[in-house]
Amino acid sequence: MLSDISLGRYIDTGSVLHRTDPRLKVILYMVYLISIFIVNSPPALLVLFILTVIQLIAAKIPLEITWSTLKPVLPLALFILVINIFTIKQGDVLWTWKFLTVTDVGTTRAILMALRLVFLILSTSVLLTLTTTPLKIADALESLLGPLKAFRVPVHEASMMMSIALRFIPTLIEETDKIMKAQESRGANYDTGSAFSRLKGYITVLIPLFVSSFKRAEDLAVAMDARCYRGGRNRTKLNPLKITKKDVVVFILFLLGAAALIGTEVYFER
Amino acid sequence: MDSAVIVRNVTFAYKNEEGEMTPDKALNGISLDIKAGSYCAVLGPNGSGKSTLAKIIDVLETPDEGGVVVLGVVPDDEDKCYEIRENCSYVFQNPDNQIVGTVVEEDVAFGPENLGVPLPELRERVDAALKYTGLYDLKDREAATLSGGQKQKLAIAGALAMDPKILILDESTAMLDPVSRDEFLDLVERLNRDKGITVITITHDMNEAARCGKIFVIEDGKVTMEGSPAYIFSHPDAVKKAGLDLPQDIDLIYELARLSDSSVDEEDLFDDTARIRTAVRLASKAVEMPSEQPPVKHDHGDKILQITDLSYSYDSGRHYALEHIDLEVYEGEILAIVGRSGCGKTTLISHLNGIVRPQSGDVTLYTRDGETLSTNRKKDVAAIRQNVGLVFQYPEYQLFEETVAKDIAYGLTNRGAVEDNISVRVKEAAKIAGLTEDVLDKSPFELSGGQKRRAALAGVLVMKPQVLVLDEPAAGLDPRGRHDMFETIKALRDSGTTIVIVSHNMDEAARFADRIVCLKDGKKVAQGTASELFEDEKKARECGLSMPVLYDFSSKVRQELSKTHPGICLMPPLPFCEDEARSIVRSVLTC
Repeated sequence: MLSDISLGRYIDTGSVLHRTDPRLKVILYMVYLISIFIVNSPPALLVLFILTVIQLIAAKIPLEITWSTLKPVLPLALFILVINIFTIKQGDVLWTWKFLTVTDVGTTRAILMALRLVFLILSTSVLLTLTTTPLKIADALESLLGPLKAFRVPVHEASMMMSIALRFIPTLIEETDKIMKAQESRGANYDTGSAFSRLKGYITVLIPLFVSSFKRAEDLAVAMDARCYRGGRNRTKLNPLKITKKDVVVFILFLLGAAALIGTEVYFER
Repeated sequence: MDSAVIVRNVTFAYKNEEGEMTPDKALNGISLDIKAGSYCAVLGPNGSGKSTLAKIIDVLETPDEGGVVVLGVVPDDEDKCYEIRENCSYVFQNPDNQIVGTVVEEDVAFGPENLGVPLPELRERVDAALKYTGLYDLKDREAATLSGGQKQKLAIAGALAMDPKILILDESTAMLDPVSRDEFLDLVERLNRDKGITVITITHDMNEAARCGKIFVIEDGKVTMEGSPAYIFSHPDAVKKAGLDLPQDIDLIYELARLSDSSVDEEDLFDDTARIRTAVRLASKAVEMPSEQPPVKHDHGDKILQITDLSYSYDSGRHYALEHIDLEVYEGEILAIVGRSGCGKTTLISHLNGIVRPQSGDVTLYTRDGETLSTNRKKDVAAIRQNVGLVFQYPEYQLFEETVAKDIAYGLTNRGAVEDNISVRVKEAAKIAGLTEDVLDKSPFELSGGQKRRAALAGVLVMKPQVLVLDEPAAGLDPRGRHDMFETIKALRDSGTTIVIVSHNMDEAARFADRIVCLKDGKKVAQGTASELFEDEKKARECGLSMPVLYDFSSKVRQELSKTHPGICLMPPLPFCEDEARSIVRSVLTC
């Protein structure tokens, strides 16, 4: 069911990572994002794996949450794996059948690509979504992009929009589930029948979902007005962002991790 | 300052997408005064302009003509508008659509953050608001995971953190179960008493209105009656003409008055004690023995649905939404499933047509053609869905087609029915659901809320199900809409459809259902007729049931009667005011 997916959800385990300043986490996330794309060799991949496991443990994320985070992207990872295995023609041929060829370079590259995606998701989850509330992510972005305000970029508005979008994900998932059940009771089809009837099945869900989302948006706008929202001007914060010593320690440890990763990569790539 | 709100000759019309005013005015020269520190209700049928009035007071809309003064402030520029909004908090009907913050405390802080309240005062305000509403232990929870009742309390906490002088509740209790609703109202009344906050509540619930100090009745954008609840409800004809209802206890008093040829005036209805006294007085005054009406017994037919040892868990066994449920549904009956929000009612009914398949246990359908179908067999599921129609809560949100007719036909077209046949069946279903033929060619999104619900109902009826399952079919409707909905349901039963209805309105369950099943925490805790279930008040409360208002009131009246009439022989309470009044008078006269 839809509600089983924990991709993009916040799970409070009260770990150090949960309490780390979100701005630092966003920066670390950027660093790891780049590192993941630099990684090319198996030893570096191993280091990345170890780092990710350590991070998961540090964030006290239970195994089943990790699994349910990964589950929805596995088909995509598998797809990338298969496509790459059969399309990369460089290197020694390992196996061939009719028009299909598998090479050693292709295999390693394919595995690397698929694993990258997996690590990408894990690192997004552990550094951002699972350990940081959407509002804090939005806060962090607002603060980090603050200088752009001088150039009339609506930073506050954008971050507010983002946090509201994230806040409504569980609500909309619940609603989708409800509408799907209602249409299914009227004979809608989502996974059997012809392509046309399946498409029609999804339309019966999407239209009501859009209509009710607009209604929600209108209601929310009125509710925000009623609560005196008038943009970022003179706003205070209940939990203003503050960098503590602990945050700095976490930041440095993570940077060292990233450095080790890139170091391994550079060392073995030569 | 005497008046918290002054509204003078306000007219208002909503604008359509082109910016033109719609011809029907939402408010039509309305004037009213609300005293500071009072607790008042605004009543009126759907579309009478109640919500618009509330939005005008909170300057979320600006009047076309006329004006408002709120807390002595005239909203003639933007700063004045914000000054009013700062002091005037608004709680909306749908709890989900007013939560801005992801985490509970962040949402509470949203208002004062907008006001620029500095730390540490901000933190103090948030904590105080959370403690006052009893949400402090949940302050770090994700707001989306709260129950409906908790979400509405969160909205109150968010309002409280603004330190308002006026609190507007716009059908805020419509989506709550009775227990949550009582908790919510207790909280609101506490705010009104302790902090002197003026409370304006818009409601369709007459029992809720009866708790207020003052009632305004609004029809067609104008105030047509105003006064204390006792004054308003001492004019029953005017109340009914306005499309409203009487609270059940007051309705019983009028039935007793009719049987004893007496009249009821304002003082008789002043408060609970006065009402009980009046009821006892009237019951003792009756001289003519009312004819005994044989209780209407609906003999039920054969077993049509059988649920055996059904269990279901959403999180692979850690917590069960349903645990070992055994239940039979008989042909031609109305079965009500009651229980608090989150007790497993919706999960249970989702099993009845195989939308959710059993994890363990079985649901069997015995069709009219003598077939035995089980939701455990995949090939049976399609046939079960044809025979068991399921109407979810707020079904108007499932409409999607270009025209109402096409939407109603959706289920049939899916089954590949023949074209002429379809249009006949659509018209038939629309008629049963209470839609006129002229709406069939309109877009479903142009209809009013009540019509949309009927269109959605027709979309299920078109399949001619043997069993019709309805989840809170009357939720959010005004008194007349509720009444019509239940008339439709009764008519369906009379034409041979078996009805399963989920409700948290105990008065309605008692009145319309032949049998009631009560769920608590996923278990079946009680089952029987209304009289059986509510006879033992203590046991009923243990099951998490709230007493129907009528039962509650008449049991107090009976208690008083047994003091004044020793040796009186009282029958168990009945769900309809008229029958109950007769029964009480008979008991008094035979004593």
